[in-house]
Amino acid sequence: MKGALLIVRKELLELRRSPVLLLSMTSLPATVVVVPVLLLAWLVRAAPTQALDWLQDLYKVPASSPTAALVAVLAKNWLPMFLVLPIFLPILLAAQSIGGERERRTLEPLLATPVSTLEIIIGKSVAALVPALAITWIASALFCAGVDAAVWTRLHAFPLPDGPWLFATLVLSPLLSLFGNALAVVVSARIVDPRAAQNVAATTVVPLLGLLVIQLAGGISLGPGFYLGFALGALVADVALIALAVRLFDREKLLTRWR
Amino acid sequence: MLAIEVRSLGKSFGKRRACWDLSFEIARGEVFGLLGPNGAGKTTTLRMLAGLYAPDQGSGTVAGLDLVTGGAALRRKVGLLTESPGFYGRLGARENLLFFAGLYGVSKRDALLRAARLLERFALASHADRPFAELSRGMKQKLAIARALIHEPEVILLDEPTVGLDPEATREVRTLIEELAREQRTLVLCTHHLAEVERLCSRAAFVAGRLIGVHKIEHAQQGRVRIELAAAHAAAALRAAELGPLRLAEQGKVLLLTPRCEIPEAVAALVAVGARIVAVSPDRDPLEDAYLQLLAEARALGLAGDEPGAVL
Repeated sequence: MKGALLIVRKELLELRRSPVLLLSMTSLPATVVVVPVLLLAWLVRAAPTQALDWLQDLYKVPASSPTAALVAVLAKNWLPMFLVLPIFLPILLAAQSIGGERERRTLEPLLATPVSTLEIIIGKSVAALVPALAITWIASALFCAGVDAAVWTRLHAFPLPDGPWLFATLVLSPLLSLFGNALAVVVSARIVDPRAAQNVAATTVVPLLGLLVIQLAGGISLGPGFYLGFALGALVADVALIALAVRLFDREKLLTRWR
Repeated sequence: MLAIEVRSLGKSFGKRRACWDLSFEIARGEVFGLLGPNGAGKTTTLRMLAGLYAPDQGSGTVAGLDLVTGGAALRRKVGLLTESPGFYGRLGARENLLFFAGLYGVSKRDALLRAARLLERFALASHADRPFAELSRGMKQKLAIARALIHEPEVILLDEPTVGLDPEATREVRTLIEELAREQRTLVLCTHHLAEVERLCSRAAFVAGRLIGVHKIEHAQQGRVRIELAAAHAAAALRAAELGPLRLAEQGKVLLLTPRCEIPEAVAALVAVGARIVAVSPDRDPLEDAYLQLLAEARALGLAGDEPGAVL
């Protein structure tokens, strides 16, 4: 696995020297953290009690106070956004994995070395997963800290992270990162243009965003049962996609496919 | 001892035949040329020899390892210069070399030493830490040659090493290849430049889909002139003129002469011994003649064209 380690190191070094890619990877998480925390801080300070009561009523959240209800509504409804991140971020990197090598004409020299197919897949995947998970976890920690700080004066407690939040961050995020990455590797192995591969892979976050919108509109309520089922589904999809990625990664076809 | 041996080698991509019926042997330390028009299957052949493509016809060995089953072990023994340099633009020249050295299984200590030595040798030491993207085209190509050597391979395959280079970079790269050739390394040189092959190689294979022929290169002698005679002439009579080393070719109708005197005086001396001269010209590249003749034959047989591969 020395080859995989070398590939990881090389990919991370390239990422570190790519400010545009780093910016594109951090801009979405920053927005996902900063906007709701600022909104929450404003609501806690300035929103009329009737508005908070209305929110509590709309989302049917059992809470001890309007502020606690506000936090519960935000935590419940904003959690899916933190599930979009671990899918979306590795796609930004992994979709470039094979297509990018092909575009830079580095694929042939890379495949001419004794490094194995599995080492290349593992190396590329870990290099996409590590920064994606790190950014997701940092964003999640900052969000929780921001929410707790915003409501501290009213609640004198740290409502986040709660159980679902911890489950989503520690269990679902790695599984979804793996899913996003494996999907991007599969798409990247079949589609030559890295940008097209990125776009195709990125469409997988659309259903999750759809669920988020429906939940925000009060149409559904995603509870622990949903997230548990989601985790099991992600696990099955991960195994299937990784097997497919290894099967599709044919050294010869990668060199000869140009469409 | 043979470094490369292929028998009836062939490769198809779907219904398209890239090359077929390739058989040749290359001895250890030999510099072998691979010539042919665009789409003749040269790069496909090179990729098969590098272990990148598995042949679907015939068999072969490179450095004693089978082309089909050799896998990683075969790739470790081959150094491949790809048509395009192909490095990571944000990494420095040295970082790129060290990355590939690692993939070839070279220890970190050896990789550092070899990278430093190669960068020095190829006049890239002062650019070692510059990002690859900022290097000139010639520097990039030299770095690619350094990569092909970093793991000290038994066989070096060079695909179009001077394509797209300006004259100065072309000369630099050719000089490097000449140095490698002098070091008795086994080299396969795939190129369009006949002069390159003539100067560097001991033999060249002509490929136009299939192998058209293997030509032993007679290195042209500098200053030699080609004198066409009206009729065949006896060598003894011509030698009597004592003009310099000479050889008769084409049934005695062509005289290849390296004159010790000026050409007008040599012509006068030849006329004096009874030779009837039709034309005098610098000795043409014999490889070019052979290449064009074989290519014409191949085209007549429908074997060579400008489109890649033949359709099955």
